[in-house]
Amino acid sequence: MEFPNHHRQIVEDLMAGKFILPTERTFEVLKENEDFYTQFFKASFNYDVRFTQDYVYMVSDESNEMLSRDMCIFIALLSYELDRDGKNFLERIQYSEFEMEEIENYLTNSSYIDLILSNKQLKDAESRRNFINTLNRRNIIEKIGDNRFVFTSAHKFFMDFASDIVKFENASEGN
Amino acid sequence: MKAEPRTILRFLLEYFDIISELYDTQSKDGIITFETLNQITEKHGFDIKIQLLEYKVLSNVNENYEIRTVYYNLIEFILSEFKPMLPETIEKYHISIAELFRKIREQLNGDKVLLNQRISELSNEIRSFYEMVEKNTISLLNETRELKANVKKVDYREKIIRASRWIDEYIIPLNKILDINHSASIANKLYDVSEFSNKYRLNFDDENTRVQFERLYFQLIQVNDNLLRQSKILTNELLPLIERIRTESIILTGWITFLKNPYKQKVPKILKRKEVTVYSQDTFFNAAEIFEQFKNEEDVYFDEVEVEAEKWIFDKEHYTQKLKENLPVDNFFKWCNKTLKDDYKKVEIEKFFALTSLAFDENLLLEYTAKPEYEKIKINDLTLTVPKIKINNHGIS
Repeated sequence: MEFPNHHRQIVEDLMAGKFILPTERTFEVLKENEDFYTQFFKASFNYDVRFTQDYVYMVSDESNEMLSRDMCIFIALLSYELDRDGKNFLERIQYSEFEMEEIENYLTNSSYIDLILSNKQLKDAESRRNFINTLNRRNIIEKIGDNRFVFTSAHKFFMDFASDIVKFENASEGN
Repeated sequence: MKAEPRTILRFLLEYFDIISELYDTQSKDGIITFETLNQITEKHGFDIKIQLLEYKVLSNVNENYEIRTVYYNLIEFILSEFKPMLPETIEKYHISIAELFRKIREQLNGDKVLLNQRISELSNEIRSFYEMVEKNTISLLNETRELKANVKKVDYREKIIRASRWIDEYIIPLNKILDINHSASIANKLYDVSEFSNKYRLNFDDENTRVQFERLYFQLIQVNDNLLRQSKILTNELLPLIERIRTESIILTGWITFLKNPYKQKVPKILKRKEVTVYSQDTFFNAAEIFEQFKNEEDVYFDEVEVEAEKWIFDKEHYTQKLKENLPVDNFFKWCNKTLKDDYKKVEIEKFFALTSLAFDENLLLEYTAKPEYEKIKINDLTLTVPKIKINNHGIS
């Protein structure tokens, strides 16, 4: 039986919870074989593969909810603080590099400090450094050296979630 | 109007601060009340109410005042402070332009004076139409940039509402008006007028009319260029800018809502990593991720618990007494071993050596064989080679 190119890599990456990005060679293969991979993961593991133009990722009922929540909190805080600082937060997250020092400044001076201190992954500099590594492994950011990183197109996954909050709220208010 | 034009212009120049403030009031409230007029003039220290009415800058509306349209438009133009107009207002030019154009076409061979008059009116309508479009684009750009900078600290939800309103009610309809490919657009109608005037500027028996068509044609070339530029500003600059404001505001509102209660909201699903074999290439990273979960647990401190082992103290008096009771002792080291075994079951080397120290007591008389005899004593895992020493009764002093 023949499998698409880089099949093993695709399976390993998706099973590891990584977002596969348009910059990776596997992305094109996945898009070309969308039906195959949808069926393959459904039949093999009962997982769903989601295809978007910015990333491909896999979901199942067994979700790492805690990690997802921490990721949302981190991106929410960063967006809020950038905006408060007069920056265009969406453009900065989309196109700019971040230094760990900048992240530290935003989080340590945030008005959400209670939330930050109570969160295991964000409470101090070392935890945050580890958390950044986790984001890197999931392809949500790309580290450039030890102290700098950029967000990948996978950040849109979380931005869509934030938009949905407002849409659902408006929809429920309308009902 | 009694006053000289220059007098009026000088008046406008001299008291522009007051007039500008009156303009702001009318723009905001729609009218200038009698009290407001008094307040403004008193604030600036000039009572110019009479001149304002005499020069017809203001007109009476019941007990209140308003700036006459001609002055209002002049100040609006000077200050470039236009309010966005609803496209419905601009759409009226579609009717007037189409109607004039229809009459020009139908009565092309009729009364020349009337024809020229209509061409001139059409030209005026086109000019007014373009000015209105330009004003609207400028005002929308200003409003959008102000919203973007958010000088007035507009709430995120209000930003979404405003941005959405401008897109849906102003920009998209205005874009339709300017879309030359849309058959019902004004721009499309102007294109027809342009084609028509191009034809008759070269081919019409009356010279005056030819000149009129010529002027109209060149006016339209200019207007079409300008409209295209306005359309580009709308599509390339204004629409993306305002869309971005809307998107940003939606996302930020979403995050702020989320942060209000982050642990009670549903979050998007992220795949839980599966256990993998230790032979995987990613073992190191997978292990690292698992360990990192615990890395930030609260530090746990253990107090060192001191084991209170009973410290053994050699009771020399007790064992000297015991030795005396057992005298004579044929083999001193064997006696030590046996005594300790009887007392403690397990003989520790430390105790053994302590007990053997009795042999150095000056009061004991030790006896050795001429030729030293050695024998082995086993204490736990240790085998000691010791000389055979005898202690007699007599040795005790």
